[in-house]
Amino acid sequence: MDNNSLWLILHRLRIPFLVIVITYTISITGLLLIPGIDDNGNTYYMSIFDAFYFITYTATTIGFGEIPYAFTYAQRIWVSMSVYITVLGWFYGIGTVISLLQDKLFLNEIAKARFIKNVKKLREPFVIVLGYSHITSQIIRKIQKSNLRAVVVESDEYRAHSILLEGFTPYVPYLVADAAQVTSLKNAGINHLYCKAVISLFEDDNLNLRTALTAKSLNPKVKVAVKSTSTHHSENLLDIGAEFIQNPFSIIASQIRMALFAPNLLKLEQWVYKLGYLNDPSPVLPQGKYIICGYGKMGRHIFEIFQKHNIESTFIEINEQYKNNLSDAESRQLFFADGDDKDNLLEAGVMDSVAIIAGTNDDTINLSILATAKKLNKKIVTIARENEFEDISIFQNANIDHVFMPSKILIHKTANAIIHPLSDMFVDLINKQDEAWGQNLVNKLITTIDENPKLFEISINKKSAPQIFDYLINSNNQLSLKIFHHSLHNRSILNNIVPLMLKSENSCTLLPSWDHPLSLNDTILFACDKYAMEDIEYIAQNINEFYYVLTGEENSIIGKFLKERKQ
Amino acid sequence: MNLDKVIAGFFIILAMTLNFGFFYGDPSDIAMHSKYELFAAIVINIIATVLKLGDKTQIGSVLLATSLVAVIQLIAAATVWTIAAYKTTQLDPEVVGVILSLSGGALMANIVSVWLYVGETLKSKR
Repeated sequence: MDNNSLWLILHRLRIPFLVIVITYTISITGLLLIPGIDDNGNTYYMSIFDAFYFITYTATTIGFGEIPYAFTYAQRIWVSMSVYITVLGWFYGIGTVISLLQDKLFLNEIAKARFIKNVKKLREPFVIVLGYSHITSQIIRKIQKSNLRAVVVESDEYRAHSILLEGFTPYVPYLVADAAQVTSLKNAGINHLYCKAVISLFEDDNLNLRTALTAKSLNPKVKVAVKSTSTHHSENLLDIGAEFIQNPFSIIASQIRMALFAPNLLKLEQWVYKLGYLNDPSPVLPQGKYIICGYGKMGRHIFEIFQKHNIESTFIEINEQYKNNLSDAESRQLFFADGDDKDNLLEAGVMDSVAIIAGTNDDTINLSILATAKKLNKKIVTIARENEFEDISIFQNANIDHVFMPSKILIHKTANAIIHPLSDMFVDLINKQDEAWGQNLVNKLITTIDENPKLFEISINKKSAPQIFDYLINSNNQLSLKIFHHSLHNRSILNNIVPLMLKSENSCTLLPSWDHPLSLNDTILFACDKYAMEDIEYIAQNINEFYYVLTGEENSIIGKFLKERKQ
Repeated sequence: MNLDKVIAGFFIILAMTLNFGFFYGDPSDIAMHSKYELFAAIVINIIATVLKLGDKTQIGSVLLATSLVAVIQLIAAATVWTIAAYKTTQLDPEVVGVILSLSGGALMANIVSVWLYVGETLKSKR
């Protein structure tokens, strides 16, 4: 039996029960042994039931009086003794139950039992979120919008209870427990049929690695989205088989790279994350000399990118600890000083730099660096790293040109990866393309669809595309991507669709042509408008619509009848 | 030696022996079966049950179940006796039969309980 709370009650009540039973027995036995005198002056002995009845109402302090006859003094002496022992026995028992109800361990057990029951009852796909913070709370909001449920494991009681105040609909069950423990993951339903993914975005990389490892070993089918800020951990996570490894700093570095050399790719990425439209002005960073304050995790990633693309740059770091193990290239460009100091900025060449990146992990320092730099050089482009959610309004009012927020990036990236795994893969792939390719695609999307096309994923399987699946299962039949292109109103009209990616079992085609053959278990990512999205779903699922698109004829008795009339 | 084990074993076996003591005797004559022995059997059975509470193991749960059966059967026997005794002065043979067969059932449960307890003890290496 898994219900620990019941066992806990029983275990705690053992001694009170024993005390009550023994005190009752002693009192009853005494009454049975002591002779009484009845109305007629005869000696009598109480029956067992009379004694039990008397003790029962006396011990519970109800006191109906002396029955069946008035007691003798010997009986009264015994009764007064037994009142003390039995009443004390009862109080002890009741006291134990009440203290048990206030017992933390007991309450936790009750909460845990309720949580396990709630998780077991889930009949929709859900995601286990480990650790509750600003980041994961936003992710929960996003995934709930896509009809996924969430279950939270958080070790801090206070933070866990704030889930209640947050008022998620539908309700988010939460467990106060250590996420690193195997039992917490099991209780959170990692082996549940509907468990889709585990999200672990702790600050501590080791903890993330550990939870990912536990999750994967408990259920290899569950997808794992995990944060990692060092290459060492990322490699380990890859070995485990974690699907989505998010490194916010490498994402920022690659966004900076794209802003420098391929703004259209960045625009595409923003569009996929629903952060912008395709006709927004390109997020461009100027070419020239850069100053980067802070050589922590973010600084290192930027350094790698700048090194690769030969961008002139100076890095300033206040913490001299990083002085060890520097490569030649690093020590040439890195100097140790307080970046928040006017003279140091001048020395770093703020007057002839085109942009300054404030990438320390302290928001106040970042703001202050940028303010100083702006004062010295009016034309300089300012780029800030924002760490805390609470500082959003300060950053908005500070007139900073570009703000990068690792936690926000984590939110969009993780939620997107869980909800639309294919579009996440698409973003990874476009990162490797060049500006011309991006420019081309943006133009193509805007001209064929509009400035904010919808993304739509479909898998050729029995559940989401039964018609296509059934047709293809016969190996003589062949279909190409074209089948989705037709409008259902009129087959000769083509819908506004751009196929972005086709993923088959062992290959992945970016921008597949319309003649690309379809095979079983392919997944396809489309950019389309909402009418086209409906049509694609109808074609995939409705036998009549599929037949119409395939042959151009109506597959219905009335349709056939009308056609015959026409001829 | 484990004092807990001694106490638990003592009460489990005492519950069975007292139960047997009450049950043993001429089945047609209630005078051969002491009501005080039934009272003692009930008390000891309840104590044995309480001692088994809260043991989460498989064998612990089964032991608890057998004890509960015995307690319920014995209390049922006592209740039948009490009601019958206050209604008529002379118990009729049918009621005597019911009381004795209920306590006989409880004896069976107690025997199973002791048997399980002994088996568990033999299996244990300590």
